[in-house]
Amino acid sequence: MDEPQSPSVRNHLAHAHTVRAYDRELARLRGLILDMGERVVEQTQAAVSALLDADLSPAYRVLDREPQIDFLALDADEEVFRVIARRQPTAVDLRIVLALARIAGEAERGADKAARIARSALEFRADDSDSALPAGIAHALRAQDELVCCAFERSIAAVSQFDCDLAVGIFEDEPALISATQSMHQALLAPLDPPLPPAKLGPLFVIAHALEYIGRHAGAIAEQVIYVAEGKDVRFRNREILIETLRHRGG
Amino acid sequence: MSTLASEIIRNTGAISAADLARGGRVSGTIGDITAPDPRMVCRGVNVWYGAKQAIRDVSLDIGKNQVVAMIGPSGCGKSTFLRCLNRMNDTIDGCRVGGSIRLDGQEIYDKRVDPVPLRAQVGMVFQKPNPFPKSIYENVAYGPRIHGLTNSKAELDALVETSLKKAGLWNEVKERLDQPGTGLSGGQQQRLCIARTIAVSPEVILMDEPCSALDPIATAIIEELIDELREHYAIAIVTHSMQQAARVSQRTAYFHLGDLVEVGETNQVFTNPRHQLTEDYITGRFG
Repeated sequence: MDEPQSPSVRNHLAHAHTVRAYDRELARLRGLILDMGERVVEQTQAAVSALLDADLSPAYRVLDREPQIDFLALDADEEVFRVIARRQPTAVDLRIVLALARIAGEAERGADKAARIARSALEFRADDSDSALPAGIAHALRAQDELVCCAFERSIAAVSQFDCDLAVGIFEDEPALISATQSMHQALLAPLDPPLPPAKLGPLFVIAHALEYIGRHAGAIAEQVIYVAEGKDVRFRNREILIETLRHRGG
Repeated sequence: MSTLASEIIRNTGAISAADLARGGRVSGTIGDITAPDPRMVCRGVNVWYGAKQAIRDVSLDIGKNQVVAMIGPSGCGKSTFLRCLNRMNDTIDGCRVGGSIRLDGQEIYDKRVDPVPLRAQVGMVFQKPNPFPKSIYENVAYGPRIHGLTNSKAELDALVETSLKKAGLWNEVKERLDQPGTGLSGGQQQRLCIARTIAVSPEVILMDEPCSALDPIATAIIEELIDELREHYAIAIVTHSMQQAARVSQRTAYFHLGDLVEVGETNQVFTNPRHQLTEDYITGRFG
């Protein structure tokens, strides 16, 4: 018995629409989303570096650039409306358009969190901008930032080809993200000599929380990649079962 | 589900090396070809126009209270298949039909079956409205009269009124039943043809691109009518409009080069088709 030739996203990305303008519109939409995603990573890294390196200029740049990502989100919305109205997408095209609209929302919220980190960095250094961050906290923050930015970067890379394997990898690495967040909280709660005043501890908790949420946005983007690639809505599913199922989807 | 049906629900639709050697023809149909309450059961239908095979081994149920949309590129065999369902292909020289097509268990290609009453049971609405050059009343009354479905003028009047009401045309024409059907607008003419079809109490209504000659408003009215007619009849529609297929049907069948490639719930076919050819076609990547 022959194996069915089932549709795959890879095939679709390789095969052009008869109406070429449709491909250009989808590519433009995807380009906007990828641009947003890359900017979220840059913004997050810059905001965290403002705190770690005691240099506030990146934090100001992050706040200056935040509206650009909002405008990209508006452009993406407009593109989504236009594609739906003009092309009435179906099947994988419909999933791509819906997923990209949702991913735009995730990226825009990610950018909001990066701006929140920048504001908290400014708040932390409001009085003495060059004091060093306690070593334990700096170490935990750096580790959390690296993992979160890496996860977000990979989620955006997964979007560029709607790569299900990359998306599954992001789910697999979620325990490491959770662990990094916990380490950061432990570092913030550990006794310090001299102790950090509440006015400084508060912004650091906000930053840890914002980073945690950027990591969650990466996971939500990975869910949308799987929605496009596999045609399955995997939101609100148990991650362990999901990873197991997706790992064995070919067999 | 019967063993036969299970056998026929083939999950093998594929373009294998063998398929490619056959010129890209697919082998088998993906999806459930059966319907819960089938009025027509088609199994292994093959159609030839002379030496050329137009339909290859197509099996599909036409279920009651259901609209099945047949889609596919030009020349894929969807209209040919539709015309097999009420033996319209009998009128084409050199056309041969093989396989089994049953209407309520009766083989319609049995030599004892008279195609004229069959075409009353399996009515057809064509691409271009084709009212008779007679009055609106006579267009609807003609079928019941020749089939002897009524016993009196009063009964015939009632049947004409009911049919025009079911076709959503009564309020627009009740004051001018004696005027020519050809004087109506395109959309009204098509609804008149539908009234004419349902006046002879069919079990199945076949529609071959019934809205392709109509404007969007007339199309919307016909689509609404199709949804209402579904309550009483089994409907099979051929359409080139993907959006129309998605709007009006509960099941969709995709044809390609004479093969039935995939059949399934319309929602599934239009959001997550299982065959690459189906997806390429409905997303506009075909060819």
